[in-house]
Amino acid sequence: MSAHGTGSRFIQHHYDDAKHQFDAGKLGIWLFLAQEVLFFSALFVAYILYRIHHPEIYSYAHKWLDVKMGAINTAVLIFSSLTAAWAVRCAQKNQRAGLIGCIVVTILCACTFMGVKYKEYSHKYHEGILFGRYFDPCISPGGTELLTKKNECPGSKTTVEWDFIDDETRGKIKSGCFEEKLVDQDPKTEGVQARCTVTISKGTKKGADWVETSSTPVPLQCPEEMFGEAESASEMPAAKTAEAAHKFPCWRTASQPAVCPDLTKPDEAISGSAARPQVGVLVEFGDEVERGEDTRIIAKCDAPPKAPDAGDIFADKPTSLATGKGTIHPVHEMTTHEEHEREAAGAPPAHTNMFLSIYFAMTGLHGVHVLFGIGVFIWLLIRSIKGHFTEDYFGPIDFAALYWHIVDLIWIFLFPLLYLIH
Amino acid sequence: MATTPQRIHTPVTEPDFLSIHNGKPFGTRLKGWLFTLDHKRIGMMYLFGILGALLLGGAFALLVRTELWAPGKTIVGQDTYNQFFTLHGAVMVFLVIIPGIPAALGNIIMPIQLGAPDVAFPKLNLSSFYLWSAGALLLVLSIPFGGLDTGWTLYTPYSLKTQTAVLVATSGVFLLGFSSIFTGLNMLVTIHKFRPQGMGWFQLPLNIWAIYATAIMQVLATPVLGITVLLLSVERFAHIGIFDPNLGGDPVLFQHFFWFYSHPAVYIMIIPAMGVISELISTFSRKPLFGYRFVAYSSVSLALLSFLVWGHHMFVSGQSRLANMVFSALTFTVGIPSAIKVFNWVATLYKGDIRLKTPMLYALSFLLLFTIGGLTGLFLGILAVDVHLHDTYFVVAHFHYVMMGSTLVAFLGALHYWWPKFTGRMYNESLGRICATGVFFGFNLTFLPQFVMGARGMPRRYWDYDPQYQIFHQLSTIGAFVLGISLFTSVMYLMASFWTGKKATRNPWGGSSLEWQAPTPPTLYNFEKPPVLHELYNYDDLIEYGEDDWGREGEGITEVTPHATPAKVVATPVKAEPGIAERVPPKTEDAPKDQGPKAEEPPAKVVEKLEKAAEAEADAAKPIAKDEEPKS
Amino acid sequence: MAEHHDDHDDHGISHVASIKVLIGTGGTLLFLTVVTVLATRIDFGANINLAIAMSIAVLKASLVILFFMHLKYDKLFHSVVFVSAILAASLFVGFTLMDSSEYQKTNIWHPDRPPIAPYGPRPTL
Repeated sequence: MSAHGTGSRFIQHHYDDAKHQFDAGKLGIWLFLAQEVLFFSALFVAYILYRIHHPEIYSYAHKWLDVKMGAINTAVLIFSSLTAAWAVRCAQKNQRAGLIGCIVVTILCACTFMGVKYKEYSHKYHEGILFGRYFDPCISPGGTELLTKKNECPGSKTTVEWDFIDDETRGKIKSGCFEEKLVDQDPKTEGVQARCTVTISKGTKKGADWVETSSTPVPLQCPEEMFGEAESASEMPAAKTAEAAHKFPCWRTASQPAVCPDLTKPDEAISGSAARPQVGVLVEFGDEVERGEDTRIIAKCDAPPKAPDAGDIFADKPTSLATGKGTIHPVHEMTTHEEHEREAAGAPPAHTNMFLSIYFAMTGLHGVHVLFGIGVFIWLLIRSIKGHFTEDYFGPIDFAALYWHIVDLIWIFLFPLLYLIH
Repeated sequence: MATTPQRIHTPVTEPDFLSIHNGKPFGTRLKGWLFTLDHKRIGMMYLFGILGALLLGGAFALLVRTELWAPGKTIVGQDTYNQFFTLHGAVMVFLVIIPGIPAALGNIIMPIQLGAPDVAFPKLNLSSFYLWSAGALLLVLSIPFGGLDTGWTLYTPYSLKTQTAVLVATSGVFLLGFSSIFTGLNMLVTIHKFRPQGMGWFQLPLNIWAIYATAIMQVLATPVLGITVLLLSVERFAHIGIFDPNLGGDPVLFQHFFWFYSHPAVYIMIIPAMGVISELISTFSRKPLFGYRFVAYSSVSLALLSFLVWGHHMFVSGQSRLANMVFSALTFTVGIPSAIKVFNWVATLYKGDIRLKTPMLYALSFLLLFTIGGLTGLFLGILAVDVHLHDTYFVVAHFHYVMMGSTLVAFLGALHYWWPKFTGRMYNESLGRICATGVFFGFNLTFLPQFVMGARGMPRRYWDYDPQYQIFHQLSTIGAFVLGISLFTSVMYLMASFWTGKKATRNPWGGSSLEWQAPTPPTLYNFEKPPVLHELYNYDDLIEYGEDDWGREGEGITEVTPHATPAKVVATPVKAEPGIAERVPPKTEDAPKDQGPKAEEPPAKVVEKLEKAAEAEADAAKPIAKDEEPKS
Repeated sequence: MAEHHDDHDDHGISHVASIKVLIGTGGTLLFLTVVTVLATRIDFGANINLAIAMSIAVLKASLVILFFMHLKYDKLFHSVVFVSAILAASLFVGFTLMDSSEYQKTNIWHPDRPPIAPYGPRPTL
């Protein structure tokens, strides 16, 4: 038992010997792994819960994930697990070159994994296959490309021009048909409406410019309760919302469509379908306005006033109206190919975004663990080049490898649960 | 006891842990604290942080109570009031009660009780402390960043919607969670790997059992808090929608996540308190603890049961009827181990030689307050009753009886009990007794009326109330101030004892566990020689030599010289039976063989290590030994 | 590297995994990955497909735990720690599902029957 003497200078003073230190560390790392299991368990709870209750979302949305990428990543991670386990063996047997080699391969595999992950994420980002609020419900079911976005209104010539008066968007006039400018209101001013004027502008279009010949202000016809009492449309009873819907132009709390509007239905083409109320503002027009090539409706709005003195610094302020950042959901016009695709797959079911939320949460948290593992292995690489590890002191290698195996283990479950849904 | 056996006065040859850097430049001394790996110093830093947080949380409590003096606006408006009670709750739960006993006092005392030189992972221990500090800082920073008005429970969807600084607070809670996990992990490994030879599982002091049970929950439940607040934060800035019904998410799921941690958290708060109380009651009754094994097992079974009852927080939160019934039934089982403990403590008191020192006053308060708090918990576990009482002051009173009346009172008892050991100073005993009484009566005055008004329908967290409740609110407010003054005075005289307190002896209360054999205050590695294991909770061989001065016959006592310089070593008799508390050798098979020589070896080894380490520490407070393990 | 070691090589401090076991485990894991991808392509019905995928995942996980993580040769208590974590997690999953499958029927996720929020004038103070 000479192997567990106190040969290494890394045996700490409060341990009896190398084995005592190793055993304590090993128990510690197992407890840490137990902690990791529980840390991930909540996400598995969310996954199972939504999958049991809404299997249609999973069987629809998993098509957006690339099985090939997932399988490559699985293989890469398994191989890195093998090299990590081998590194432990090398450390135990005092094989320094083998140890360094194994660690280098493990790091390379981990980087490959993150590279593939980056590719998957960036593809999804560009396609709007995103989580929660940022999910684009008008996405093509195949997930290959977005539907064509055009600022023309089918069957209508109505144009809404936006002019948010604030630093960032000043002077930039965006035009479109039924354009929801889904900007989040400054949370401090929730319930405080933007002040807008709406005018019917007559003129001609010359190139990109609009030459105005006359403009007529349109009185706002919003019901009172839209401005003061109800904080959002969700708090307004359905009857009142319906009543209000006929009196346009009017500002109301904007809605992001929960599913892509079906353009064959006039109602949805105008106001979106199965609208889900959100914080924001939206301008809508009824049929009272006569439309033509020479007519534009221009809405000019001030950003909602800042709430007076509700504290200055909000660390977690959502994107605010004042910064002009927001997603725009113009009406989409599908190509024939896309229409066929859509007919085959059907429109995304309601709340398809939940699959993506869970996908990004699970793989994101896993990715953070991989990044952390890369950091740990780089540290170990430096130490093993320095020759710190000997046959009676190899604990850190063993513990990092155990951590790396649990990261692999979680991916072994994530891969079939997310990518291989039948 | 009447005999006056010869005592051997031995100067401690090593400086105690508080005065290791005495005489060094200020920078070295500061570094000696900030980068210390000594569990006692880390524990003391925790302790002072926690006492600071206690004063902060207490200040919020008094502001809440002052606002409720009269209906309508008394001092602040509704929004500010919401922030007051939220911050009171968050600070008290996350910063004071959860780390109170396990991280602060557990850190200081537990390794000494084990006869160990330190915890298993000293660096992890220090990083736990800094995680706690960072978390505490963020939680406190949420005040200038807009406050927090969600209640400490951070329920969605309101926490997604509120304008206050939820993200700052959740980041803080995330860090605090990991601080707690690492502390628990450290304690578990220490208890497993640093038990001395001859100290089996059933020779462990009950405080250690309690810390063990707590650590199980810290390791298994707290990660769920981590992921919950992480998801909440992501939800806040990226709107992923898992808890947001507008996006198809499920707000009830948040409550499941939250309470899967936070119910065990309630037991993380109370079980260490029970451990401490077991020690106090046994020591001050001069009797072995009645039903040792039952008390030990009940700690662990409480820890396990704590994972089965979280749904009782959600009876009216949209939880299904089936789950309500299951959780309600399971909730009652918690009463069993709790009652086992209470009965055993009472049985320990029976015919005991009870000494009403300050810690014992706190222990007796605990018995009463915990009984009330525990039994009212059963009322709330009954479904039908809970529908009436949910979110009323009855609930507020119930959990204050458990979290404050039990845990904080036990914390104070433990603080008074071990204060002389780790500071080397006695506090003012009469002030201590007055404050203990003040805490007891102030507490009851605060929270008994809340039971009444809660049962009559006063909802919790309300800024305004019907005039019929005013008298109860006023009684409660008066009680809160009595309580506040008592607590503040306690903190003050404890601090004052550093300068004015008389020097404490090695064993002022006549405790039987190992920490009382360590020098007062302990040296860097706790013992100048391996302590002698005696039968646990046996007080027969302890002799009261004078006021606050106990010892065993023939046991060498040491002159308390806090600024000791190495001096001549006087040989002290080491009791042969039942054995020297040397740690269990790693390979048990060859242990008995070389037990003889081993008994002689350690002192020299320890001294050698001590010198080496003291040099290293004095150098530049750089880590004594290099890296231990990759993670942490 | 070429030297051969018994599976139970004790090394004094910890178990040393033999190269045979390491490569065997790694190879099996890669093979099972291929199997699970291929199995998804065959339609056995959604539930059976899920069951197959999960069984393979559990098998792979067990291999990782037993051989890469040395749990087969390790102290029993480490298995106890790990299994208790799995048990706690299953408890978490089980109770939450028990509840959600009940309340899902009643109050959430029904676009036609949204939870009715009280609407009325706000109380003035």
